[in-house]
Amino acid sequence: MFKNLLLRDLRLAYYSSSNFIYIGSFFILVTILIPFVINTETEGLKSVFQGLIWVGLALALLLALDRIFSSDFDDGNLDIILRMEVSYEKIYLSKLLSVWITYCLPIVIIVPLISTAFNLTINETIFVTINLFCGSFGMAATAIGINALLMGLKRMIYLKSIIVIPLYIPFMIFGVEQGSWPVLSALSMIAVVVASFATSYGLRLYGE
Amino acid sequence: MISKIRPAIIEKADGYIPLLLSFTIITFFVGLYFSLIESPADYIQGDSMRIMYIHVPSAWFSLMIYTLIALSSVFWFILRNPLLSLAGRSLAPIGAMFTFLALITGSIWGKPTWGTWWAWDARLTSMLILFFLYLAYILLWHSISNKDNASKIAAALGIIGFINIPIIKFSVDWWNTLHQPATISKLSTPSIDVSMLIPLLIMTLAFGLFLLSLFIIRIRILSLELRINRKMTY
Repeated sequence: MFKNLLLRDLRLAYYSSSNFIYIGSFFILVTILIPFVINTETEGLKSVFQGLIWVGLALALLLALDRIFSSDFDDGNLDIILRMEVSYEKIYLSKLLSVWITYCLPIVIIVPLISTAFNLTINETIFVTINLFCGSFGMAATAIGINALLMGLKRMIYLKSIIVIPLYIPFMIFGVEQGSWPVLSALSMIAVVVASFATSYGLRLYGE
Repeated sequence: MISKIRPAIIEKADGYIPLLLSFTIITFFVGLYFSLIESPADYIQGDSMRIMYIHVPSAWFSLMIYTLIALSSVFWFILRNPLLSLAGRSLAPIGAMFTFLALITGSIWGKPTWGTWWAWDARLTSMLILFFLYLAYILLWHSISNKDNASKIAAALGIIGFINIPIIKFSVDWWNTLHQPATISKLSTPSIDVSMLIPLLIMTLAFGLFLLSLFIIRIRILSLELRINRKMTY
């Protein structure tokens, strides 16, 4: 059942507008805004890029806030899923994996490919990618938890973003620091656990 | 859920509002007299440090109110008493106001002392984030028309935000620090002179009374609003 849920979400994402091509192009376009707004000769390009990776990831997840559970809730699929006697934890875990694969994995793959264009050395690229890998789980979990609580609110993406962005600040702070992947993993674990409670609460709230 | 409200306790508290308000005004005047005239000017910062008597109480209360919101959310989950969700809802704008006041007075104080209106320092930044946490909570209440659902979601959000505060505090502290460390961390040996401590405590009392009277007024308005809505739907 877990596998079916996961595959269903991934297939839906693949055949809809959250395909990896869309996410990847969106992310690359966000990052190539930097050379246009700052002097490309400076060393600043590198540090701005390291920060903008996280902003791009956050933007990709914020744009997903209108669909993670909301689209299933709107078209009634959520009722069917909840009727299938699956535990909330399994629904949550499959959502976590599918959201991570859909929105975070393309970015984790793209960052090492384009980092040379922003003057990052190989060492720095490895650090940035590991940080991104460790932090993105928590950011995905946060988005899922808040979306589960607010899935009844249609077209309220700004409200959801205002709620989610303060929760992303710790990830941003540690994300740009080299070698802070243990802290990011700890933050991710906290977020994954808290979001599991929030998700099951939200599912129970709207499933009734 | 809403029909379970028994507004008797609110009605009873309502009678005390004039008394509370007059106490608040008297305490404010006494506190302002002590802080502006009686207390000495700081020997380095001069008269500009007198804004501390506004800045520090509002910063304390802004943190305390978020704690109260989180506590009322936790107890809402246990007791399911609609008064508790009303309490959180009526406290949030007051807390946002105190946070805003702390930010504004802090930046006015920062200009002559640090030479800048705003610095990306740990405490300033976490206060700014606290302000946006309040704003998110208020906007959540505002945008859900079914207040039964809103109270369920807002309670969860109050707890999540409260978990987030120490994490933000820790990460922002680690990120950058310029602010002076907390002066009155332990009450036994405060590193502040008594001549400055007394006006500060009076002003804190005045702010507390102000908070209490605003809280009672707001929770009464909100409960009346709920009763009107209930009558209109039936």
